[in-house]
Amino acid sequence: MVNKNLVKDVVKEPYKYGFVTDIETEKIAKGLSEDIIRLISQKKEEPKFLLDFRLKAFKKWQKMKEPDWAGLGYKKIDYQDIIYYSAPKQKEKISSLDEVDPKLLETFDKLGIPLTEQKKLTNVAVDAVFDSVSIATTFREELAEYGVIFCSISEAVKNHADLIEKYLGTVVPASDNYFAALNSAVFSDGSFVYIPKGVTCPMDLSSYFRINSGDSGQFERTLIIAEESSSVSYLEGCTAPMFDTNTLHAAVVELIALDDASIKYSTVQNWYAGDEEGIGGIFNFVTKRGKCLGKRSKISWSQVETGSAITWKYPSCLLLGEESVGEFYSVALTNNLQQADTGTKMIHIGPKTKSTIVSKGISAGNSKNSYRGLVKMGTKATGSRNYSQCDSMLIGDQASANTFPYIKSQQPNSEIEHEASTCRISEDQLFYLQSRGIEFEEAVSMMVSGFCRDVFNQLPMEFAAEADKLLALKLEGSVG
Amino acid sequence: MKIIEKIKTNKSADNLTEIQKICLDKLQSSPLPNTRSEQWRLSNKSKFSNFLKYSVNEKNPKFDTPFPNNSQSTIRLVIGDNCQINLMEENYSIKQLSEEKLVKYIKEQISCFDQNENWSDLLNLSLNCTKNTLGLKINGSKIPPIEIFSHASSNSLNAKTLIIFLEKNCDIDLLQVNLGKENSSLSQSTFFYLEENSSVNHGVVSYGENKSNLLNSLNVIQQNNSEYNLGSLHFKFNYARFEIRVKQSEGNAKTNIKGMQITKKDEQISTFTKIDFNGPNGFLDQINKSLADDKSHAIFEGSIIVPKIAQKTDASQLSRNLLLSNHAQIDTKPQLEIIADDVKCKHGATISQLNEEELFYMRTRGITLTEASKLQLSSYFQEIISFIPISKDRWNLLDKLLNEN
Repeated sequence: MVNKNLVKDVVKEPYKYGFVTDIETEKIAKGLSEDIIRLISQKKEEPKFLLDFRLKAFKKWQKMKEPDWAGLGYKKIDYQDIIYYSAPKQKEKISSLDEVDPKLLETFDKLGIPLTEQKKLTNVAVDAVFDSVSIATTFREELAEYGVIFCSISEAVKNHADLIEKYLGTVVPASDNYFAALNSAVFSDGSFVYIPKGVTCPMDLSSYFRINSGDSGQFERTLIIAEESSSVSYLEGCTAPMFDTNTLHAAVVELIALDDASIKYSTVQNWYAGDEEGIGGIFNFVTKRGKCLGKRSKISWSQVETGSAITWKYPSCLLLGEESVGEFYSVALTNNLQQADTGTKMIHIGPKTKSTIVSKGISAGNSKNSYRGLVKMGTKATGSRNYSQCDSMLIGDQASANTFPYIKSQQPNSEIEHEASTCRISEDQLFYLQSRGIEFEEAVSMMVSGFCRDVFNQLPMEFAAEADKLLALKLEGSVG
Repeated sequence: MKIIEKIKTNKSADNLTEIQKICLDKLQSSPLPNTRSEQWRLSNKSKFSNFLKYSVNEKNPKFDTPFPNNSQSTIRLVIGDNCQINLMEENYSIKQLSEEKLVKYIKEQISCFDQNENWSDLLNLSLNCTKNTLGLKINGSKIPPIEIFSHASSNSLNAKTLIIFLEKNCDIDLLQVNLGKENSSLSQSTFFYLEENSSVNHGVVSYGENKSNLLNSLNVIQQNNSEYNLGSLHFKFNYARFEIRVKQSEGNAKTNIKGMQITKKDEQISTFTKIDFNGPNGFLDQINKSLADDKSHAIFEGSIIVPKIAQKTDASQLSRNLLLSNHAQIDTKPQLEIIADDVKCKHGATISQLNEEELFYMRTRGITLTEASKLQLSSYFQEIISFIPISKDRWNLLDKLLNEN
């Protein structure tokens, strides 16, 4: 019965990551202008090509309009009221983890992220990002032995400028959309991963994002390059303290897979979602896209979205290489007044490309949960296949579940299948479980976890357990 | 703006009916549909502007139909053809609606219009004069099948409106035929009102000729325990747009929709459906099939809306598509918007070509490839065609479709 107690404990817990770390930070003035961008670039001692990239993106952003097609109701964001750079103050150069401010290490410890290597529990290398900067990256030497580069993007700009110049913005161009342009102009940090030819990354890589201050936005950028015949599994987690203001998070993730390479990108997103009245919470507007450039390359996205006041993200795959594969597995849970508009885009360009989409949405409280996806077969995508499945579960009669699949085919020799269903927790099943002595809340949590099984099976081990707990926690008090 | 001027120059302001004035007023603020909106995003702009190219024609030229002669058991009506009907039989009555009632009903409808969604209706009603409007009130049982025609003559834009009230416990078979002549545009708006316990088998066959265009809009309101069955077929239009809006105003109603569109050459035919469940225990079974060949483009967008009040709704929607050419295109977007939690809703979509294994099987039995494809297509078509009332025997729709393939 250990398991039972665990679920019970978890269900009772409030958002436990809501604390604020009292740490001295270096912030720049609020607002966004060319000068601010120059200042960020200067602070990070960036080469000229990157400053040009930023300024170009900023010019484009100024001409763009904030999109409204998703029909998400939120207060207009004042982009001049955001701090675009905030970093914890620390000594000039860090040569080892011992020099990191102990308060920071403590923060990540509290979040369950062991940064000190002696405390390592699992075979996972971590890059921890606190507000605008990367604090520490673990297991570097071990990874370096294999030729794997895993560091913050600011370091990569200094040490691997050629790779950054070659690949940055090639998957998500600066002008791609409003929030990608904003990110391109002001991105502060993020992770960079390079897996050389023929290398299977010896451990899972992970980045952990933490927003600490209430008035600064977080704009990180992740770039992962998998060379021929290499493979990597990458995990991403995020939390933020509870503030009664909304904080903007606009990230860009770019993945590139060459011939026979495979990238698995898993996210457990648990930003602060606001309180029951919908006050506060993170606006999570993220652009994630992978390019299967090489033949037989594979990109797999799996995500568990439970946090954020508003989530707006569509991890996508551009399937260019012959026989390349794209996958998308998602669980999105919304409660109270959360809104999630998420899904994927599978663009089949090359021949014999394949994609699978499995999306599970759970809406409770007064929330709104939408799946919005695009499957497109281009004229050259002969022999390509897609299978999509979107299931929604409704809890309570105030929540809404929407499905908007866009399907477009220009190639007769290809097949697209899509199916969607909506259900609720059936009373028969609940009764059955309860009659066998299982308590109500646990029965619900068992059924939710059964509903999400297809997706949880795709998550790395340690994430799957965390995801299960998260869902139970989020559904507290929403059933019955 | 051109369209508004076109209507106005055609008539002096005094001759405009009250409805026309209201609709023109509405169109004035946004004369053309917003092409950025979901409903119009995929519409081919140049084809659509072709629709508006022809001058408005209020006269109704003689109907030279290639369709079968009227059988005695069928009531045949042609909209605009001075058709007068007033039947009082033992079991049933079919009466024309008084102008006052028509105006009242249309006004009520207009007040619920959405500029983008109902743009086709607004255009229709602003173009139409009373002469091209047919309003019927049907009552009783054992009513003979009814056929209603509307058509557009060459080099002109015609607008026809049909309004049908089905009274309680009434039960009919109705076939509506829309005919587009060469170089013509037809705007057809139909309003159906089903009272309690009434049921209709409605067929819509739209058949065009070279370079004909069609905007066909169908608005259905269903009351308690009513049943609405629709079988539709659209083909051979250069540009056609079929909009279906069904509202189960109190739930407890049944809707079955089976539609098909066939596009060839560089045609574009689209179907938009919106099913609104405004009460509990609603039922929907919908299937939409498309076939796109040559350089054509077929579009389907269907939305199912289940608000909180519509508990125990059972809705399913399926979009099946055949893409037969490398240059053709199919877009499909079935969508669900659900708030009520105790519902069964599902949708599915597939896009593929003819099943190769089935073709191979038939060929190994000595059936030629052409024959085998025809057989496959005929089974694909048959499901829809058999659902269109009174068409099966006399109209030979299946032959017509197959022989043109």
